[in-house]
Amino acid sequence: MSKPSPLLILDHVSKEFVSGAGAGLVAVLRDVSLSMLPGESAAIVGPSGSGKSTLLNLIGTLDRPTRGRVRLDGEDLERMDDTRLAWVRNRKIGFVFQSHHLLPQCSVLENVLVPTLATDAPRDDSDPAARARRLLERVRLSDRLSHRPGQLSGGERQRVAVVRALINQPGLLLADEPTGALDRASAENLAQLLVELNREEKVALIVVTHSMRLANRMSRVFELADGVLTEPAASKQGGL
Amino acid sequence: MTSWTLALRGLVFYARSHLGALLGAAVGSAVLVGALVVGDSVRGSLREMALARLGKVDVALASNDRLFRQELARELGASLKGLVAPVLQLPGTATTGNADSRANQVQVLGVDERFWKLAKEAPGFSEIAPGSVVLNEQLAARLEAKPGDSLVFRVRKPTALSQDAPLSPSEDTLAALRLTVQEVVSDSRFGRFSLHASQLPPLNAYLSLATLSSRVGATNRANLLLAGGTTDGDATLSVGAAEEALKQSWQLSDGELRLIGVPDGKGAELRTARVFIDPPVAKAAFEGNPRAQGILTYFVNELRIGDRVTPYSMVTAAGAPWVPADLGGDEIVVSRWLAEDLNARVGDSITLRYYVVGLRRKLEERESVFRVRSVLPDSEGVDAGLMPDFPGLTDAENCRDWDTGFPIDLDRIREKDNAYWETYKGTPKAFISLAAGKRLWGNRFGELTAIRFPDRAADATFAGELQRSIEPASLGLRFEPIREMALAASSESQDFGQLFLGFSFFLIVAALMLMGLLFRFGIEQRRGEIGTLLALGFQPRQVRSLLLREGILIATVGGAIGVLGGVLYARAMLMGLATVWKGAVGTTSLSYHAGGATLVTGALAGVVVATLTIWMALRTQGRQPTHQLLSETAPEGTVDTGWSKQRTDLISRLCLIVAAGLVVVKGKPEGAAGAETFFLAGSLLLIGGIAQCASFLSSLGGTDHAAKLALVHLAVRNATRRRQRSLATIGLLACGSFLIMSIGVFRLDSRVEQGDRSSGTGGFALIGESTHPVVQDLNSEAGREWYGIEPDLVAGVEAVPLRVLEGEDASCLNLNRAQKPRLLGVQPELLQKRGAFTFAQVMEGLSSTNQWALLNSEVGPDEVAGIGDQASIQWALGRKVGDALAFTDEQGREFKVRIVASVANSILQGNLLIAEDRFVERFPSTSGYRMFLIDAPNGKVEAVSKTLSQRLQDAGLEIEPTVRRLSAFNAVQNTYLGTFQILGGLGLLLGSVGLGVVVLRNVLERKGELALLLAVGFRRDALGWCVLSEHLALLVMGLGVGTVSALIAVLPTLLTPGAQPPYGSLFVTLVTVLLSGVVWTWGATKLALRGRLLNALRNE
Ligand SMILES: Nc1ncnc2c1ncn2[C@@H]1O[C@H](COP(=O)(O)OP(=O)(O)OP(=O)(O)O)[C@@H](O)[C@H]1O
Ligand SMILES: [Mg+2]
Repeated sequence: MSKPSPLLILDHVSKEFVSGAGAGLVAVLRDVSLSMLPGESAAIVGPSGSGKSTLLNLIGTLDRPTRGRVRLDGEDLERMDDTRLAWVRNRKIGFVFQSHHLLPQCSVLENVLVPTLATDAPRDDSDPAARARRLLERVRLSDRLSHRPGQLSGGERQRVAVVRALINQPGLLLADEPTGALDRASAENLAQLLVELNREEKVALIVVTHSMRLANRMSRVFELADGVLTEPAASKQGGL
Repeated sequence: MTSWTLALRGLVFYARSHLGALLGAAVGSAVLVGALVVGDSVRGSLREMALARLGKVDVALASNDRLFRQELARELGASLKGLVAPVLQLPGTATTGNADSRANQVQVLGVDERFWKLAKEAPGFSEIAPGSVVLNEQLAARLEAKPGDSLVFRVRKPTALSQDAPLSPSEDTLAALRLTVQEVVSDSRFGRFSLHASQLPPLNAYLSLATLSSRVGATNRANLLLAGGTTDGDATLSVGAAEEALKQSWQLSDGELRLIGVPDGKGAELRTARVFIDPPVAKAAFEGNPRAQGILTYFVNELRIGDRVTPYSMVTAAGAPWVPADLGGDEIVVSRWLAEDLNARVGDSITLRYYVVGLRRKLEERESVFRVRSVLPDSEGVDAGLMPDFPGLTDAENCRDWDTGFPIDLDRIREKDNAYWETYKGTPKAFISLAAGKRLWGNRFGELTAIRFPDRAADATFAGELQRSIEPASLGLRFEPIREMALAASSESQDFGQLFLGFSFFLIVAALMLMGLLFRFGIEQRRGEIGTLLALGFQPRQVRSLLLREGILIATVGGAIGVLGGVLYARAMLMGLATVWKGAVGTTSLSYHAGGATLVTGALAGVVVATLTIWMALRTQGRQPTHQLLSETAPEGTVDTGWSKQRTDLISRLCLIVAAGLVVVKGKPEGAAGAETFFLAGSLLLIGGIAQCASFLSSLGGTDHAAKLALVHLAVRNATRRRQRSLATIGLLACGSFLIMSIGVFRLDSRVEQGDRSSGTGGFALIGESTHPVVQDLNSEAGREWYGIEPDLVAGVEAVPLRVLEGEDASCLNLNRAQKPRLLGVQPELLQKRGAFTFAQVMEGLSSTNQWALLNSEVGPDEVAGIGDQASIQWALGRKVGDALAFTDEQGREFKVRIVASVANSILQGNLLIAEDRFVERFPSTSGYRMFLIDAPNGKVEAVSKTLSQRLQDAGLEIEPTVRRLSAFNAVQNTYLGTFQILGGLGLLLGSVGLGVVVLRNVLERKGELALLLAVGFRRDALGWCVLSEHLALLVMGLGVGTVSALIAVLPTLLTPGAQPPYGSLFVTLVTVLLSGVVWTWGATKLALRGRLLNALRNE
């Protein structure tokens, strides 16, 4: 059986920021390399300010690295223009943030469908509304379709955000502290859901988290400290 | 789920935050719609007035002093199958029985029931009783008369011969009628009847046609035909059809012509009550009758040989058989009676003295010498019929009953002269050749008094032949498409929609800018949403388009509200026009009219401009990095995209350099061309100034002021943080103050112009207009004596008399587009020698010295040179110097008045001036003068005005100081400017509200920062001052840039000698805006700093 080609490759990626008061450059990521297969799940842990969100932004095409390359699905992100990047973001990547960032003016179902408005061509396989309903049922929100985000609990909102991230059938789901704003029970619940969806929807998952309970449910765990990414050997047994 | 669903959800969810923007859009649309509705209302009102004044009348024939048979109306009505009403229309004056109040320029109309049938609504009566009069509302109000009151009217009797001719009797030209008011008719019942388009209602008095015509000696005659209301539905009567019918029906007597048989079967003779046969008639008569003979009989004051004199006799100029065919130009054939009286022999020289027809009624006596060729035998040549129907002579039994317009020295009339008159009447006593006669006595009215046809009989066949060969139009019988003209006058009227759009322009801009700002602020609150959309794979362009959809919805709702608001706004404007802005429209009640198309157009335009504004406000949205947008708090260094400092620097320098260059090159700020240059320089300065502010703001942001933690520096740095916002505020305030200040300076003030020949008054102190023509020379002793004016009261007074051909007022006081302006005839020398008025423009290729003399220049075949007021030509007539206007003269010939020059803003507004010679050539039968420009010595002006109006009361002379007349004209422009200032001021106020909003927004955005400052020990009022000073700086910068640029722009006007710019009102405007800005800023600061600022910290 041949090894499947990696979904995501980070190749010696560094990121520096221009600091405020003219004090030169601040290196946030140093020479980060990483490779993930389709359907894999991974957690990134590390202290606050270590660059986890920055790394996730680079992977999610929201920012570009100072040095090094990011390859997604065999394509070099560096070569793409903003329009193409937006398309990649829309079709290949799903985001879940610590704050749900649902549009307060739209209903649950509408929020889920928002990403389908970004690109004209509908996905050939399915009716997005039907898929939205199926996924919402999957996350046990089928009786909340026309509720507004303001009428939902924090856990419910986050589940809607997860569904929204999956609506366009991305290959990669990025979650930045998805449980950070939730109480214990809801956090546990969401963690379980993410793990299950990772398996059911065959979507690779990268979770940034402070919670070791959540991290340990991922097949791989990376640690980021002072901009350097390491993968403790213990987690390496994961993958396919 | 579509993008529109998303936009709609946003609109509803953020309704509260959109409310401000929605209001802005609504105000913008409302002002737009309102302005257009004002235009509709003015046009609609004028149209309504036009239809009220004309009723069902389609075409009209007005022949003025020429009278036709009333019967003609019936005949025309029958052949046109429509309503045709005969009217006798005469100018008159009216006084109440006790002479308490009086009205001049009254239109006295003799009418019968046919007239009222043409009214839009029939009045409650059909007959006016003899001895009664019906008034229109305007006249009743002027005289404060009500039914039952007794009034005295003085009406001018129509005269067949112009009163300018010395031969016409000068007394008794007015008929006095004492009448009882029967009723007052409303406007819709023909109370507004008038042939001329004006929004000012006429003063009308209606009498029964029979009464009026008999009282003025015109029994069964009329001078106005109104036709319309054809039986076949809506079709209007065309001029062509009416003229065709007229050609069929008219008779010689409608042209005051008579065909009579010559006694003893010597054929037929054509003569006229007008004494002289109109040249076109003569031409037509000769064309078909080769044997026709022209005759000219004239009144001579004396025939003399040495000291033997025969006074007051008729002399005939004719060809054979009255004189030998070879009679020389200096030969005369005398009657036996005359030969005996003068003891004349063949070969003797006889001197003839006679008056000639000049301009004014000045008696100009000339003499010519003839040699006696032969003496007629006793019986021959005794033909009393050779004398024309001289009014005042023909019917006299005795020489002492003669009523002539010139003085007759009764002492000179001997017993034998009287005996001659009693026996032979006006039988000529001598004959000269026709050529000689024409040379001596030919005049503007004609050169024949009779035409004889020896081979024809005075029968119906011949009369018919003559009728067919003569064009009725050549006798002044001509129909005009009066309804068509009226509708054109109202539809081409001054477009108040555009005018108010212009006036409201700044208000609209301010409303839109405010809307744009508020919309943007609303969007800036939704940074997270934008970040989310970007993270979900929307491109910035798509995000903007989503937000734009929301904006379009706001603009649409705003537009819908704007329609309602616009209707209210228009009503308010109309109320303004009826009250405070009355000067712009005169005494008029404008009614509300709004077409559906106008409302839709206005609303659509509102939506489009609002959408564009929102689109511009959104241009920079979605450019920030997504992760920044997604982070909860706004990061410190907010990106403010906009033009770089280099670019704004470049713009500001370029503008300043060009502006300075313009000023330097132009040098002295004088003259009209200078004014344009300076205005351009001022505008450049404005742009440069705003760019300079932009550059200044970015330079402040660049330097590290913030390092020194002084509050003032904090304030400065904050102003620069939101550079675009600050700049929008500065720009709005600068543009607004620039417009208001620079336009305000153009207010006209006529107080300073009195006595200055080059000013708009022409240096004349008074201007007078009379109802009846003044035929005596007011400058001559004789003329003054005639009117009983004491010489010492009018010492030093000189009047420039002007002839008047009634037409439409082509001044800014008439909202209608004048189709046929009033023509004035003036002697160019009188104005030239005074150097009166300043010329604005002279037609290319003509000399620009001696401009008044240009009136005498030949400009082309069938063209007459004309001069008018620049404003009237441009605005009221919609023409320019060099253009020509078509007129038809008294004899039906088309001619053009070519505008060769224009005078600047003057009391001549509303008229077109041509040379008097040309005037009488084209309109020979007009009598005398009806307008006067009067020079009066300083200090005596009021006394002169009083004396003249009293003495010439019967002529209905109304005198007004020229300054007041000019002020009335200026009031229009000043009212426009005032309107602009008020609406512009509203815009500026809205701009200062915008400033308040910016303050609120800025402070709210910095709540955390301010709270921190408070927490570390700054006092609350110190923070208030900090915020206040930051924004006041913007206010001062904006107003400063605007004011300084405006001053440069209008420098030439300011420096014009005698200019009195309204510094006061400008100062008040500026201070009001400044104060309002301060109040809004202060209020916003207070509001923002109110309450628990420290809560903001805890929420962080
Ligand atoms: N746009 C930026 N400009 C300058 N510095 C930045 C920027 N974004 C992030 N940083 C810096 O990079 C570092 C890493 O930030 P990042 O948000 O990735 O940390 P994190 O690991 O996600 O922390 P946390 O667990 O608190 O979310 C921080 O020190 C931050 O100050
Ligand atoms: Mg983070």
